[in-house]
Amino acid sequence: MLSCKEVAERASALIDGELGMFDLLQMRLHLAMCKGCSAFVRQMRITRDLTASAALLDDQRADEVDRRIAAILSRLPDGRHTGP
Amino acid sequence: MKPDMADETALVAQLATGDRAAFECVYRKHNASMLRICEGMIRNRATAEEVVQDSWVAVLNGIGRFEGRSSLAGWIFAILVNKARSRAQRDGRMISFESDGEEDGLAAAFDGRGRWKDMPDLWETITPDRIVEGRNMLAHVAAAIDALPASQRSVLILRGQQDLDPSEVCAILNISEGNMRVLLHRARLSVRNSLDAILAGSRS
Ligand SMILES: [Zn+2]
Repeated sequence: MLSCKEVAERASALIDGELGMFDLLQMRLHLAMCKGCSAFVRQMRITRDLTASAALLDDQRADEVDRRIAAILSRLPDGRHTGP
Repeated sequence: MKPDMADETALVAQLATGDRAAFECVYRKHNASMLRICEGMIRNRATAEEVVQDSWVAVLNGIGRFEGRSSLAGWIFAILVNKARSRAQRDGRMISFESDGEEDGLAAAFDGRGRWKDMPDLWETITPDRIVEGRNMLAHVAAAIDALPASQRSVLILRGQQDLDPSEVCAILNISEGNMRVLLHRARLSVRNSLDAILAGSRS
């Protein structure tokens, strides 16, 4: 029987689908009986999903993006990146 | 290969002909993540911005040499990390993404028999848009990521946000797959701990 500490250590592997059959069964057995670990695994899933969503935060203003892109393109050899 | 390989081949061809719209699309997808990783390595915003700009110039100048052996994103981030590494070396610092040796963020959460001292909360009130302490949960997550050590931050961004293959992440950062998993787990624990503290604060 896994301890709660061991379950927590395997939480990322569980939610990423990286556990082998034996570990997976042991985790499921523990989670079926332990509210604390179930809550923790839920927290880790939410954390994973919020992390992915946070990547889409658009923290650059449009004019700022234009300015930076222009700065990059101006450093290329002539004749490049003048297209549409 | 991934199903979007055909799209990627088309995108690379557009970049090679100097299509500005194609470049803007790629830029928007990766630039913020590049800056976050670079700032974690360089620890200076202005220098990090320079290195990111240099990397984009190298990407566009070198796009003809991209052969599709990695994903386009993997190739771009490899260029970035190499440039940031050289820059840090020039400034007299060696960058290593090997495990940071930190305890994981749950060291104090268990009793001697490995049981929870305090039951984790169900986080029933959390949503991406929920505002606590003046900003939404996604902004709190972004702040928590910025507080991570460079190794954890880079793995979390490349794997958890940019969705690169594990093998690409390991090659870019020069770490083993086992190491990458440890870093990813620790990074998530830190973000989880910050969110938990913020939610607990909002309840009391
Ligand atoms: Zn448990």
